[in-house]
This record gives sequence, C-alpha cells and structure tokens, in this order.
Amino acid sequence: MKENKKIIKVLIVICSLFLILVGYLTYIQIFESKEMVQNSYNRRQYQADETTIRGKIFDRNGTVLVYNEEKDNEQQRIYPYGSLYSHVIGYNSKVYGRSLLEASYNNYLLGLDEYTKVFGLFISTDKDKKEGNSLSLTIDHELQKLAHELLGERNGAVVAMNPKTGEILCLVSKPDFDTNEESLTKNWKAMVESQQSPFLPRATQGLYAPGSTFKIVTAAAVIENGLDGLKFNDKGVITIDGKKISNSKGKANGDTDLKKALAVSSNVVFAQLGVKLGQEKLTEMSNKVCFGSDIPFDIPVSKSLFPYHEMEQNDMAAAAIGQGKILVSPLHMAMITSGIANDGVIMKPFLVNSIASSTGKKIKSIKPVEFKQIMEQEVAIKVKKMMQEVVENGTAKNAAIDGVKVAGKTGTAENELTSQKKNKEHAWFVGFAPVENPQIAVAVVLEYSGSSGGSIAAPIAQKVMAEYLSKLREK
Amino acid sequence: MFGIFTYRKPINYIILINLLAYTYIFYNMKLYKFDTLALGFGVILLLCTAYCIILKGRLGDEYLFLIVSMLLSIGIIMIYRLDNGIGIRQAVWMAIGIAMFILSCQIFRWFKRWEQLAVYYMVAAVFLYLITLIFGRNINGATNWIIIKGQSFQPLEISKILYIFFLACYFRKPDRLFFENSKYTKPMKLRLNRMTLVGFTFLNIGFLMLQREWGSIILISLIYIVVLYVFGKDKLFYFFNVVFAIPIALFGYFFVHHIKVRIDTWLNPWADIAGKGYQITQSLFAISSGGYFGTGIGLGRPDLVPAVNTDFIFSAICEEMGVLTGVAVILLYMMLTYRGLKIVIKVRNGFNKVLGFGITTMLGLQTFIIIGGVIKLIPLTGITLPYISYGGSSLLSSFVILGILQAISKDDFADMDGEINEGE
Repeated sequence: MKENKKIIKVLIVICSLFLILVGYLTYIQIFESKEMVQNSYNRRQYQADETTIRGKIFDRNGTVLVYNEEKDNEQQRIYPYGSLYSHVIGYNSKVYGRSLLEASYNNYLLGLDEYTKVFGLFISTDKDKKEGNSLSLTIDHELQKLAHELLGERNGAVVAMNPKTGEILCLVSKPDFDTNEESLTKNWKAMVESQQSPFLPRATQGLYAPGSTFKIVTAAAVIENGLDGLKFNDKGVITIDGKKISNSKGKANGDTDLKKALAVSSNVVFAQLGVKLGQEKLTEMSNKVCFGSDIPFDIPVSKSLFPYHEMEQNDMAAAAIGQGKILVSPLHMAMITSGIANDGVIMKPFLVNSIASSTGKKIKSIKPVEFKQIMEQEVAIKVKKMMQEVVENGTAKNAAIDGVKVAGKTGTAENELTSQKKNKEHAWFVGFAPVENPQIAVAVVLEYSGSSGGSIAAPIAQKVMAEYLSKLREK
Repeated sequence: MFGIFTYRKPINYIILINLLAYTYIFYNMKLYKFDTLALGFGVILLLCTAYCIILKGRLGDEYLFLIVSMLLSIGIIMIYRLDNGIGIRQAVWMAIGIAMFILSCQIFRWFKRWEQLAVYYMVAAVFLYLITLIFGRNINGATNWIIIKGQSFQPLEISKILYIFFLACYFRKPDRLFFENSKYTKPMKLRLNRMTLVGFTFLNIGFLMLQREWGSIILISLIYIVVLYVFGKDKLFYFFNVVFAIPIALFGYFFVHHIKVRIDTWLNPWADIAGKGYQITQSLFAISSGGYFGTGIGLGRPDLVPAVNTDFIFSAICEEMGVLTGVAVILLYMMLTYRGLKIVIKVRNGFNKVLGFGITTMLGLQTFIIIGGVIKLIPLTGITLPYISYGGSSLLSSFVILGILQAISKDDFADMDGEINEGE
C-alpha cells in the first residue's frame, strides 16, 4: 500500500531525529562538558564547599600552609603565609574560582574522590559537616621562605628539586599575590590590569630564552656524537653565515676544548659545535630533553619550545648557545639539570607527597617514578664533571659552597627587550650539589635583570643549596 | 516455573532495575525509610500484574507496555529521589494510569462507532479550550491549568487526543467527512471539507497560543503535517499547507515577543545566564556534570535545575544516571515509535490506522521536542516527557492513548505470526 510506504518514511525520519538527539548529547559530553562544568554559574562547584570543611595542606615537615576557618557560619580559606604559595597552591575563592593545586586536587580536598565516595558511604559521622582530605606537599617551607626572600623585589623564579626522586623542594615565582579572599577582592582588578602579570606562575608557565644554560644540553649532544675531542681557537668573535657571534664582552679564550668552553661559556666555540652537529642532531637532542612535549605535573606547565623546521647555519649556532627561538620554563630547566645529576634519568616531578583522610589515614602516597632517560650514563657523568669545572674555575664561582662539590652553569640570556635596550638580559643559573651524590638541583632565573647569571643568579642558588644541605646534615 | 529467572524475559530487567534502585536509595540516601522499599515493591507488583493481564487477557502487543514500564520505572525512581512525596504521588498516578490503560483499551474495543463522532470531538475540544480560558490558572507561565477541589489538571492533554480522533475521522475517507448529503457540487464539497480541516487545526493552534503553549502548537502542527503527508490524497493541497506554514512561523518570530525570546535564548543562552537563559544553562550544567556514567543516584545536584520534576527530568536522569542512560531512554522511545508504527502498518481499518499513526507520531515527536529542548538542540518549549515527567494529567492521557494503541494492536494481531507466543 502507498500509505504504508509513507509510514515507513515517517518512521525513518522520527528515528533519525532520535539518533540526532543521541549524537548531540554525545557531542556535548565530548566537546563542551568540561568548559560548562567550570562555568561560574554552575553552583555545583561551590555547593560542596559549603557543606565540607576543605582539607588542609601541609609542607613536607607538617607545617600548615592552608586551613579552613569558620566565620559567621561560612567557611573561609586561610592562607597564613599570604603570597608565599600563590603560584603553588593557588587560591580557592567563591568569586574568582580556583587555581593550581586548589583546582587540580579539588576533589580530594572536598572528599569527592572515588576512594572517599566509596568508603565514606558506610561511615556515619555525628559531625554535621563533612571533612575533606588533607594534602602533604614535597615543598620544604623553610627553603621556600628563603628562596622567596632571596628573590626579593625582583621578578623571576626559583625551582629546587630532589634529582633522585623528583620531589619539588621549593617553587617560587615572583611577582606573586596574597591569595586570601579579602585581599583578592581588593586587588583583583589592579592585578588583572597590571603589566607585571602577577597571575603568571613563572616557575611553571613562564617561558624564557635559556641562554648559556642550554649549553649543557648542547655539550651532551656533542659528547654523544663523539665531537668532544675537537679543539677551537677562540678569538672572541666569529662570523657564521654573515652573522656575528661574540663571547660575553668579546673576550678571547685562545685554544679551547669542550670542557674549557663550558667553563668560560664560550659562545664562539659552542656556535661552531652547533653548526658541526647540524639540524638533525640538535633537534634530536632537544626532543630527548622534552622540548615541545607535555610535562606531567600536579599543576599546569607550559610546553618548552624548540620551534625550528628548516635551520640555517646561523640558526644552528644560535640554538647551540640557547638563543634564537628556543624558550624554556624554569621547572623544565631544573628537570634537565636533575636528569644530568641523576646519571641521565629525569624523575617525574611531583608536588603532592601523600593524601590523608580526615581521620588521618593515608589514602594515597606518591612513589617516585622515572620520567625519561635523556642521555647515556657515561655522557651524563662527563657533563657533570664539566659543570663542576664551571663552578670551580669558570663563570659560576659564586655558587661554590665550602666543603661541598657543586656543579652548575650560568646563563645571561638575550631576549626581545635586549635588542632595543641594553641591560635587560635574563640572568640564569642551573646547578646541583653535591656532585658525587646529588641531593638538590636548582634553577634560578631573574627576568630582565640586566646582570650576568654568575653575579646575581648563582648566589641565590648557592644559598638555597647550602641551606638545604646543612639541614640534611643536621638530621 | 523455572522460566521466571531467565534473562530472556524483558520484564525481569524491569524488576531488577527497580529492586536495585530502591535498595540503593534505601541505603545510600541515609533515609532508612521503609516507604522506599514499599514503593519499590508496589511499583514492581503493579507492573507485573498489568503485564500478566496483558498476556492472559490476550490484549495484543506486549512490548508496548514493556517499553513503557521501563520508562515509568526510571521516571518514578528519579522523581522519588528528587522529592519523596511527589514520587509516591506519581506512583499512585501510575496505578490509576494503568487502570485507565486497561479500561480505555477495553472501552475502545467495546464501542464500535468512534468514527462517527467527529462533530462531538470538535465541540468537546472547543469546550475544553473555553473552560481553560475562563477558569484557567497560571502555573509556571502557561495559563492552562484547571483546579478542581485542589487537584489541578491540564485539559490540553485531552484536547490533543481529541484532535487526533478528529483527524482519524477526517482521513478515514479523506475530504468526505462533512456535507456528504448536502446539495453542493462535488468540488465545492471538497473545498468545504478542507476548509473545515484547516479551520479546526488553526482553531486549536489559536487557543493554544492564548495559553502560550508553544510546545503543543509545534506538536499539533507537526502531527497535522505528517498525517496529511501520509493519508492526504492531494499533493498540491499538502504543498500549500507546508508553504503556508513558513510565513506564519516567520510572523511568529518577528511579532510575537515570547517566540522571539525563546529562539534568541536558544541561539545564545550564555548571554543572559542569570535571566532568560537560566533554565537551559542549568540543564546543560546538569547534563555535563554527570558524564557518561552519571554521579550516581542521590549524589548529583539536579535539584538546582528549575522544573526538574517535569520538563527537565531528562537532565536529572543524565546527571545522576549518566548520559548513557539518557541515550538508553531515547532508544526506548525510538523502540516505542517503531513498535507503534509497526502495528499501524498491519492495521487495515482506515480509522484505526490514522488514529494509531497519529498517536504514535505524537509520542515520538513530543519526546523529540522536549529532549531536544533541554539539551539545546532546538528552542526550549515547556512540554512533558511522556511516561517519565511528573504530572497526573500528562501521565493519564499518555496511558489512555497507550490503551488505544494496545486495542488497535489486538485487531490485527492474529496476522503477526507467532509473535504473540514469544514472551510466554
């Protein structure tokens, strides 16, 4: 019958309408739900805050860094150290949302994680308010405070980590801001408009030209490719592809091998080594040390960049001395240094040591895991020796500690401002100690400081390392 | 007797899902009220009894009721979790509804002259619209509630069924319903008949506009167009109807403020989240908070969505039972439509065929309109989700039309070889 044929057509249309519903529902779930859940009008996010005492956060020695206080029947998040942890823990505000650890560990802090959900089901408590889980960080509060003071009013970052485990010992970024609700409300507008961008966690999301600190990566590539026997006559200046590359202050170093080149930070030698290595080897090494790939961490980290497709000779020269288009985050630089200290293996960096329930029971503790092997052990050992030479006889003498063997590398990185004005270089230092049994690796950057890494960045790292090592000895 | 616990009987899944859900609610929501378990057993008992009656009474297609049972179960579980009192009331409505279902099935079969009552359907529909206009109360922005002794109901639900009955009378023998014995010429009769059809359709739409029932307007227009497409004999007339609808829709958009607001909030609800876009954005928050597997019953916050018991129940299901359950619900409606139209195809009687077709497409399209609305696929219009939303009049009318469909299915069921024995 003709009618039945039409009925079947109608059936097909209605069924397709239903399938469109299914499709659109799936589309929402895949592409739009994440953003929508975080919309500030979605009150679900804050509902749990009102009925739960948000968990505390401790440093590695049990110092309370954040806690909740009840005031006029409302939960208030108190940050006793004001701005000290603004770029580690972040803030938790009804108005402005959450950031960093407060955001990424929100479910644990509010007791909304799977473990608490399942096991909390059968525990009936008499308290009218649920209590969240507490976090214990790998951060050493004393060290964090020291680094914060050492940076002072200058903008930059200090990252220290244990190269053998990946524990982050301190993570300071400046400028920072007070994360207590009251002061957030007061300063929010000014901070949003500020040219200093205080909201940028420089240690993890700031990207800087690494300058000469990148030479440790180039040196590793040179050794790996068997070019470490080469010697150059360093006249202080060299022209590659029509572009002049000179040493700091144009100093000539005469006959120079790789070890001496690293110690005196010879741009002339490293530029030539870069050209000798060529695009393929340079790119291979930068990929090995994780340029352009995601770094897994408890809080967001910017990808470091090695954005070359076709390299000219002067690109190779610039890349080898950490200039050109290369950009790196301070945390990443600390990881590379740790990798060399740890015989070529980078441990996965982490901030949260363990999570404990409100009754004090540990529900999760993080074990150190290997993240990536960036070079062979023999190569790492050679680079280590050279970095030790940098501190003992080279540019990083300011990083030396009495009675401890320290390895390091300084950097004074040109950037977008130095082409217009002098004295705007980033001052860098990366290093670790003690060389024979590394306990701490440090990366320090002072942005647009205009001084050399050896003169202002190295002393900060020296004090941080010395403090940590002396504390270790006391124990 | 060993056959009771087999996985091959769909009814067992319905029993299982109810058992699990009510036991879970009993323990997890920390109520420990035995009402919960009693409700669960009540629902299971009712559904099983009705299912047995359909099987033993040989009332025709058994799958219609099975599909609806699953939808009902999900609906009552969700409503009970949102508000215990309302959940129990919905279960009572379900009991009455099932009684109405069997009753309407029997009455429809017992009374043989449905196709001769066209004028009465029209008069009754207009009468219902008029009393709504005069005595109607405004609840949630639509003036379509009549309150009798504290019990509110929507006459609109009945008028929709009356309209389908009218269509069935008209298309039993297309364009020959009225003026058959008058002295007009044949083309004139045709024209007058068509004018009555179009006139009555617009009368319905007009009254619905006064009640601001945009969802029902779309539903009635769609049913009209679809029925005309399948059963109408004149392609040109159909073409005119469709073409004519376009300027009316445009007129509605530009000159009726309410329609424009609805479409604008559909296009960009985020522009006014706190105001006009509140409902739809809250619904989207609920759906996206649930993820694929949902937060679990009692662990989400669907209560933040306005009208979550009625229009937005689908969002609550998605939040707490997961988008996958949402998809399952949509597929159940798809099966219902498929089953309904399969029955319709077998029917030979002209009146029953149109009626069954109208009923099935109404169920299908109504579902699409409301689910599409709450997930922001199409503009939102307030209309209930059949068999799931809370509401006595909507549930009862849905059961009445299910009863009619069931009755229609029996007529020609003998033709469907062996199917009747499948579930026994």
